[in-house]
Amino acid sequence: MSVVLHGSLIALLALGWWHFRQTAAPPSVPINATVVDAHTLKGVGTASTPSPQQKAPPQAQPLPAPVEGPPPPTPDEVAMREQAAKEEAEHQEQAEKAEEARQAQRKAAEAAAAEQAAEAQKAEEAQAAEQARKLAAAKKAAAKLAAKKKLEAERKLAEEKKLAAQQAAAERAARVADLQQSLQEDERATEASGALSSWQSEITSRIQNAWNRPPTAQPGIKCVLNVGLVQGGSVTSVSIGDCNGDDAVRQSIQTAVYNASPLPPPPDGIPFPHQLIITFQPTH
Amino acid sequence: MKPTLRMASLLRIFLLVATAACLAPPAARAQLQIQITSGVNNPVPIAIVPFAEAPTDGTDVAGVVQHDLVGSGRFTELPRDKMPATPTSAADVKFGDWKAAGSDYVVVGQVVPVAGGQLAVDFNLLNDLTGQSIARQRFVGTPTALRNAAHRVSDVIYQAITGIRGAFATRIAYIAVAGAGADERFQLVVADADGYNQHLILESRFPLMSPAWSPDGQWLSYVSFENHLSAVYVQRVLTGQRTRVSMRAGINGAPAWSPDGKKLALTLSGNSGHPEIYVLELATQHLTRITDSPSINTEAAWSPDGRFIYFTSDRAGEPQIYRCAATPGSNPERITFTDEYNAGPHVSPDGKLLAMVTRDDSGSYRIAVQNLASGEFRMLTPGRLDQSPSFAPNSAAIMYAARPGQAEEGVLATISVDGLTGLSLRPTQGEVRDPAWGPFIQ
Repeated sequence: MSVVLHGSLIALLALGWWHFRQTAAPPSVPINATVVDAHTLKGVGTASTPSPQQKAPPQAQPLPAPVEGPPPPTPDEVAMREQAAKEEAEHQEQAEKAEEARQAQRKAAEAAAAEQAAEAQKAEEAQAAEQARKLAAAKKAAAKLAAKKKLEAERKLAEEKKLAAQQAAAERAARVADLQQSLQEDERATEASGALSSWQSEITSRIQNAWNRPPTAQPGIKCVLNVGLVQGGSVTSVSIGDCNGDDAVRQSIQTAVYNASPLPPPPDGIPFPHQLIITFQPTH
Repeated sequence: MKPTLRMASLLRIFLLVATAACLAPPAARAQLQIQITSGVNNPVPIAIVPFAEAPTDGTDVAGVVQHDLVGSGRFTELPRDKMPATPTSAADVKFGDWKAAGSDYVVVGQVVPVAGGQLAVDFNLLNDLTGQSIARQRFVGTPTALRNAAHRVSDVIYQAITGIRGAFATRIAYIAVAGAGADERFQLVVADADGYNQHLILESRFPLMSPAWSPDGQWLSYVSFENHLSAVYVQRVLTGQRTRVSMRAGINGAPAWSPDGKKLALTLSGNSGHPEIYVLELATQHLTRITDSPSINTEAAWSPDGRFIYFTSDRAGEPQIYRCAATPGSNPERITFTDEYNAGPHVSPDGKLLAMVTRDDSGSYRIAVQNLASGEFRMLTPGRLDQSPSFAPNSAAIMYAARPGQAEEGVLATISVDGLTGLSLRPTQGEVRDPAWGPFIQ
């Protein structure tokens, strides 16, 4: 019983050790993780964030081409000219009006463009600002995270150190306990095996004293008996296995075992064997 | 230091867990491993229950079996007054009762009349602990052969439990000396191995010595001093027909049959005065000299393979046992070195042991055995005047002549080769000496 207990204790110890190994391994991982995160952040800052200097300027609208002046008018031409002038004036007026309209249109377009550009710029600036803010925030967050992580790592390290110290102490204690236990086990094992062997020798001498050896039981003879026992040590059956002895030898060993019955009871903690294998092998 | 400790601790815990896994309750079959490398060498407790007997000459078959088994040194009996019951068949045996009474094994049996005026002896050997029948058999014979049937039962039981072939249904030959002075008679007797059922083979006013069995158990060779001259004879046990095979000048003694039964090793002195070992071919009377030294060489014994002859020689001063090839001109090799006196060699039929008479430091003559492979020397008998060791055909026991205590007359005794037990046989009349244990009877 105690033996089984010992065995399971050993098993538990072994299991505990294994478990400890498994839980002890992780601490190195977060440190690596911190480093990896910092790298990632740096990469983001240099490659992915858009820079305001790099943004292309807004496209300018094309200006209208300049118009050349008209030649001087003739007398015939005065009417004509007048007409022409009138027409011209009208024309010009129209032109001017058109020009005006064009100008207005242009101005409107320009204004619109300017407005658009301003808006775009504004938007761009806002975007840039936003980007910058975001970047700053990200940087701040990263710094905060890094700090936090650093703190965390430091805390963890400290914790680990503490844990390691605790574990070492526990291990030491366990080792001491183990040693003590093994010493106790040694004692108990010695005790148990001593009890077992003294019981065996008790049975052996009992059977040897009961074995009336016939003259034909000489060295070289070897016979194996399978003996059935019941609680209390009474022999209930004797069957002969491998045996190179003659009938007298077989008879004598069977008789010896029955004459030795009942066999002495086993020491505490050792169950009564229901089967006894006895080898008769005279040595002299 | 610490890592080692930790390592050891972990290892131990692992082992413990592994053990616990092995021992874990019911689901996984709990097992424990035990190694047995030695045992005890005690007599096996056995109960020989009196057999149900038909009217006979009163032979107590169970009693004969019990006497055989207990006498071998390998069994101890459950006395009849301690028996929980008297079953005569396996069906009547209540298992468990016998173990409780102190016996691992139970033998039950019956003697029943069968056709032709014969008797059948049925027996069943049971293991009380397992409840199993180990051996059961029927022997049929004439009523006068009832003891022999009982010995055969003993043989079967002995082999079933010891693994060694029983040698109870065998015979012995010995020399008995009856009467005294002018009435002194020398007798060659053949009896059952337990000393019963004696048959007089030859009787003589002159000394008879050194009976020896032929390997087939049909013949006996012996030395007779008829007419005051030593001569070697061979005699057919059943018919009494006999032949004188050697009556040369000087000593004619110590015949020993070769394992093939065709030759006799003899001790002959001829005219030289110092005895030498010879081999006589029975069919041709061809004689071959084996030893050649100006010392005493006698008491030849064959190795079971017939290649060597062991003999006693005083060539080194005191008698010791030597061995040489059973061919002329071979160079003898000294075998015994323990004690100053070793004589009368006899090789066990399995070729492993050499039995001899040894004189210990106190001057007592005792039977000892030497392991021929290892040289290990073991004193078996107490002494003081133990002589003529002879192995049982199963090599498990030795019969010898003894003079226990201050008794004037010799008796025959057996002892198991491991020295476990001794059994004195009842002498018939007067002195008994020179036992020779015969071969297995087919």
